Amino acid sequence: MCMSDSEFDVVVIGGGSTGTAVARDCAMRGFRTLLLERDDIASATVGTCAGMISSGLKYRSEPDIMKMCSTEVVHLNRIARHIIMKNPILTPFRDLSDVGSDMEYVESYSEHAEERDVPEMMFLTPEATIAIEPLLHPDVVFSVYYEEFFIDPFRLCLLQALDAKRHGAEIKTYCEVIGFETVNDVIQGVVFYNRITGTTEKIGAKIVVNAAGPWAPKIAGFSGAELELRLNKGAHIILDRRVVNVGISVKALDGRYIYLFPHENTTLLGTTALDTWEDPDSLVASFDEIEYLMRSIETYIPSIRDARIIRTMAGVRPLVADWKVPEGKVTRGYQVIDHENGLISFTGGKLVMCRHMAEAVTDIVSKKLGNDSACTTHEKPLPGNEADVDVEALSAEYGVSMHALERMRARRGTEMTKILELTKDHPEWKTTICTCEPIIEAEIRYAIREEFPQTLNDLRRRLRLGTGPCQGTFCTYKAASILSEELDLQGDDFLVDILDFRAERWKGIRPSMRGEQLAQEELAQGMYSCVGNLDQSDVDYDLKPWEEGV
Amino acid sequence: MNEDEAFEYVKNTLRKEKITPYHSHELEVVKSVERCINCGLCISHCPVVAAVGVDRFSGPRSIAVELSRSPPEFWSTADVVYLCTGCGTCREVCPKNVDIPEVVNLIRARIFEHRPDLVPKSLHVLREVLTEYYLAFEPWEDKEEKNESRDMRLERLGLPFVQDKILDKAEVLLYPGCQAEERAQEVREAAKVILDHFDVDYTLLDDMSCCGLPSRLMGDHETERVLAKQLKEKVKKLGIKTVVTTCAGCTSSLSDISYRNEWGVPAVHILEFLAEEIGLEKIDSATKGSTEFSDVHVTVHDPCHLIRHTSRQITDFALDILRQLPGVKVTESEANDSCCGGGGLVSYHSDDVAKAVVKENMEAIQKTSADRLVTPCPLCTAQIESNLFKTGSSVEVDDLTVFIAQRLPKKR
Ligand SMILES: Cc1cc2nc3c(=O)[nH]c(=O)nc-3n(C[C@H](O)[C@H](O)[C@H](O)COP(=O)(O)OP(=O)(O)OC[C@H]3O[C@@H](n4cnc5c(N)ncnc54)[C@H](O)[C@@H]3O)c2cc1C
Ligand code: SF4
Ligand code: SF4
Repeated sequence: MCMSDSEFDVVVIGGGSTGTAVARDCAMRGFRTLLLERDDIASATVGTCAGMISSGLKYRSEPDIMKMCSTEVVHLNRIARHIIMKNPILTPFRDLSDVGSDMEYVESYSEHAEERDVPEMMFLTPEATIAIEPLLHPDVVFSVYYEEFFIDPFRLCLLQALDAKRHGAEIKTYCEVIGFETVNDVIQGVVFYNRITGTTEKIGAKIVVNAAGPWAPKIAGFSGAELELRLNKGAHIILDRRVVNVGISVKALDGRYIYLFPHENTTLLGTTALDTWEDPDSLVASFDEIEYLMRSIETYIPSIRDARIIRTMAGVRPLVADWKVPEGKVTRGYQVIDHENGLISFTGGKLVMCRHMAEAVTDIVSKKLGNDSACTTHEKPLPGNEADVDVEALSAEYGVSMHALERMRARRGTEMTKILELTKDHPEWKTTICTCEPIIEAEIRYAIREEFPQTLNDLRRRLRLGTGPCQGTFCTYKAASILSEELDLQGDDFLVDILDFRAERWKGIRPSMRGEQLAQEELAQGMYSCVGNLDQSDVDYDLKPWEEGV
Repeated sequence: MNEDEAFEYVKNTLRKEKITPYHSHELEVVKSVERCINCGLCISHCPVVAAVGVDRFSGPRSIAVELSRSPPEFWSTADVVYLCTGCGTCREVCPKNVDIPEVVNLIRARIFEHRPDLVPKSLHVLREVLTEYYLAFEPWEDKEEKNESRDMRLERLGLPFVQDKILDKAEVLLYPGCQAEERAQEVREAAKVILDHFDVDYTLLDDMSCCGLPSRLMGDHETERVLAKQLKEKVKKLGIKTVVTTCAGCTSSLSDISYRNEWGVPAVHILEFLAEEIGLEKIDSATKGSTEFSDVHVTVHDPCHLIRHTSRQITDFALDILRQLPGVKVTESEANDSCCGGGGLVSYHSDDVAKAVVKENMEAIQKTSADRLVTPCPLCTAQIESNLFKTGSSVEVDDLTVFIAQRLPKKR
């Protein structure tokens, strides 16, 4: 074991929305902070969520949580507006009897609408409804209109991590916590396996925050503590481009609500909610989940099957362990559990409340370590949100198309000028690498240098590389060669990374593959097998659980 | 808020978010673009990409997989989508039938609505002309001068003058289009000569107005609708059975609006009318006797709006007719169906792009060693003629309608 004499005030385990928010808050309050993530930032649950920073309207039985959600939306709009989009949303009804007690939503939503700068819920006539969304079933009798905000969950986590770093925290990805060092059952240090160096390391820690999402019970177990979660699977179907003009939320076949939300340049259809005991690492969307979503939305958008499904994604909600109630009745709040052994864990929570969760736990940390500096995470902007960006002016100045820059702006805000500066010395870096997003070479180089990715999948999370309709048919090799050059990867690493990236795409593509995506996949296969000869490659690569053997 | 106020509120929000809901008639186009598999075939055929490169015009694939994905961001595509000439080559080669030219129109319409400041200035000038005169060109101030210009053209081309026929009822409406009405008057005159020669019961409009294609291409749907409505009323009043036009753009545009707006009347190019209604035999016997002309070696340019927006059959008709004209030798150019750069209103604001596009045609035309280029469209004629002239080429250019009319024996 490689011993390190560094000692941290706080070690945060998990680089999802929660862990990165905690690391940021701790670092901003002056604690020596280390974040350990076994994979990449935002590589687990948070990356499969819809990114809705919701008003919390579904939690009308929990008024405090609704209030908290609303306040968090205001904060996020202050600190990260460059990665936030507003979605107007319609909930259409075909039958008045479908409405039931749902009208209570109207009141609960409207209660905090003003502070979020959105209107109260409104009712629309069938004519107005169809004019706004002609894909809707002509039998709609009325609809309810409201507005919600959506954030890029990957960028949020990454920006929180980068901001933590700027405030002195250390962020270590590909470092999996495998145990604790304890004295009298009290944690003194954290033991982790560094997947990049292939070594086991140990560091000292005064307090450890367990933000491992669905894996939190395992982490607690390392310290001898017990922690229970109610794991609940959720799947999304991702459609090519924005196929609806506004978000559509409808009552599903089982009476829950599901939605079709324009998200960035795609549309998300989700979600399911199934109690699960599967391994969260190898989960894929099931046939039943896909059909449930399709059939449910079909009752309101009859032509939905004509739309092109590009892939699916599935994740696990780490809910508070309330049992004997349906999933929808489980509190959406979070709990902070102090195991009294140097470890503090979370259960429950949501993306929208990650900053709030971090504040709560950092308050506890402060108390324990005797620090009384106040939380400022809701006031200080995240990187890139310092000012507005004039895309037209930048396009004229640097000679990159406005659309490429508008997409870059949505990822990076003011940070984008640093990328464009690179093109002054390297005009050839204006080349488009990912055609669908699009992404230029300079941004890939910048991300590799400044945002600590190790793999193509890490680049995808930072840049939306390979997330468009062609699902990486063309960008993979190009991006891989840039990554190899920057990180000095050897030939086999290069191929394994390409295989990993393809495998990860395949995980989402395979369950829903049909229609137009079949033609796309045929072309991708041609590219990778017939042109790239990847199927004949003899590199050392282990098939993933969702891949079939030869 | 009552429901009406609520709708107004929502519409206002959508405007702020730069969302114009897709209309139901646009859904087909959106669906077509969802089929793109990013194969890139189209880029290697797009004449604008070939002429100016992907850094200036990222091309049809990028329109499909990138630019058309998110309506709130359509505004940011203005530096690209206004450079598409709408030639339809991409759609023709696409294995998935992605309708790029229509997607471009759909995007331009959103830019026009939400960010008119990003629409090229010259198109706003064009719009003003269209809304003031219902024509794509400012009409001649002095009718006498217009007639003089016409007579000079007729004399130069050796065409007889046939009086304008403006009737209350007729079988055929001769619709010359803005270019032939105001600029290339010889084309309008030639069409009259032809119809008159074959005793067609035709009329002109007493008040010619634009079909709306330029408005559509710049994204100005409102003016497009006004113009289309006007024209429909005029057509309906005349009780005609067919609209005949001499312009490629008008042919495709009129076919389109007559279908969409249920005119119940087909619109055809005069070549199609000649081949299908008059018949090749009649044309053959009419032109047999003409000996006035010395032998001529021609090559043909196929207008995009005919071959790719209407039907390739029409230029087959052109060749059929040309080949039976006495003393006419036809050599096909290598770039006969390559866009002349005059489409999509590109030349209005980015003439350098239009010129770069037509270069390929210039070279191929020279290679045929023909003395004359003919094309069934006054707009292509103008674009190619001015560019050939500038390169000092000796090849002359004629609108095909004029070329045919010249070869009909003078009546009476
Ligand atoms: C389908 C779906 C849709 C959702 N939609 C929304 C929504 O619209 N809005 C919303 O607010 N919330 C939504 N949620 C909930 C939200 O996504 C989660 O509550 C939240 O993102 C969880 O974040 P986290 O950081 O706690 O967990 P995770 O993102 O899972 O992060 C935990 C991290 O810990 C790491 N880790 C695990 N074990 C170890 C170890 N031993 N050592 C080091 N690191 C380790 C993991 O790799 C992982 O990166 C949704 C959830 C799902 C499943
Ligand atoms: S219509 Fe013509 S100019 Fe426009 S993208 Fe297609 S091929 Fe290129
Ligand atoms: S040819 Fe068609 S399918 Fe191929 S990239 Fe172009 S638009 Fe897409």
